Amino acid sequence: MVSITRSLSPALVGERLSAVLLAATVGIGLLFVSGFAPVVALHNAAHDWRHAHNFPCH
Amino acid sequence: MTKRLLAAALVAGFLAACVASVLQFALTSPLILAAEKYETAETVAPAVHAFSGHAFANPLIVLAHSGHGAAGHDHGGEPQWQPAPGLPRLAFTALATLVSGVGYALLLGAVLVAAGREVTPGEALKFGVGGFLAASLAPAIGLPPELPGVAAAALESRQLWWVATALATASGLYLLAIRRGPVAIALGLALIVAPHLWGAPHGPEDISAMPPVYAAQFAARSLAIGFAFWAVLGLAFGWAWGTVAGKQDIASGRRSGVPA
Repeated sequence: MVSITRSLSPALVGERLSAVLLAATVGIGLLFVSGFAPVVALHNAAHDWRHAHNFPCH
Repeated sequence: MTKRLLAAALVAGFLAACVASVLQFALTSPLILAAEKYETAETVAPAVHAFSGHAFANPLIVLAHSGHGAAGHDHGGEPQWQPAPGLPRLAFTALATLVSGVGYALLLGAVLVAAGREVTPGEALKFGVGGFLAASLAPAIGLPPELPGVAAAALESRQLWWVATALATASGLYLLAIRRGPVAIALGLALIVAPHLWGAPHGPEDISAMPPVYAAQFAARSLAIGFAFWAVLGLAFGWAWGTVAGKQDIASGRRSGVPA
């Protein structure tokens, strides 16, 4: 359990890169939908959250 | 590693959303509802205040909701969908919190993994506090958390400034806290300060019928909830990162039900 993250083989670097890129892309997509998307239905659904977390809102 | 990152982000986003949702229902949602009463009262009768205690009526009050062409709640013509008041509205707020929570958790995990740090609850908490500074506190300096019905500058310019400030603050914190060279520190400080020297877009300064104490309470509570959200997000991500790995080890040995 301890030894998995210790060595950084080139394969792990590649895997790490793809994990980071995937997570960042999906994360930005989710944040856009909930925090920034101008679609009225999405705005109204997420309205209180946007206000509470200081996303610029209408 | 991808699976581990996604699983930990789901767990952390869920836990942070649970905490933030409860806090929002208790602290900010009542204020939003109270502010909307003033907002709709002014929309229905702009010249006459339905609430006693205000000696004057200001015809220059700009209503953010009614003035905005695309996102108005009450403008005539086609009624726009919005969640029904009461439980559905709370449910959609919680759903939006969950979606954002998982989104922020994914970004937090991506930054942690990209920085090559060993992911522990303590380390993830530090990055979570950084996330609070970058995504909550720094934008709030220029664009304080606003209740519905408060006039503001054009939405796109505020969103642009918000995103630019969050990115600049995050990069600045990275340079300050992780790179730590003299040049990096100077550059990091410059990045953190630059958006505020540039200045946030400001709307007209109007007089609202809403009691100022609402706005003040809302701003403080919003930041407090933001801090709780980010702290739980960081701690939970670090914890889930370790737990998911442990489960995977066990699962490869004897069980096949790995959550993810």
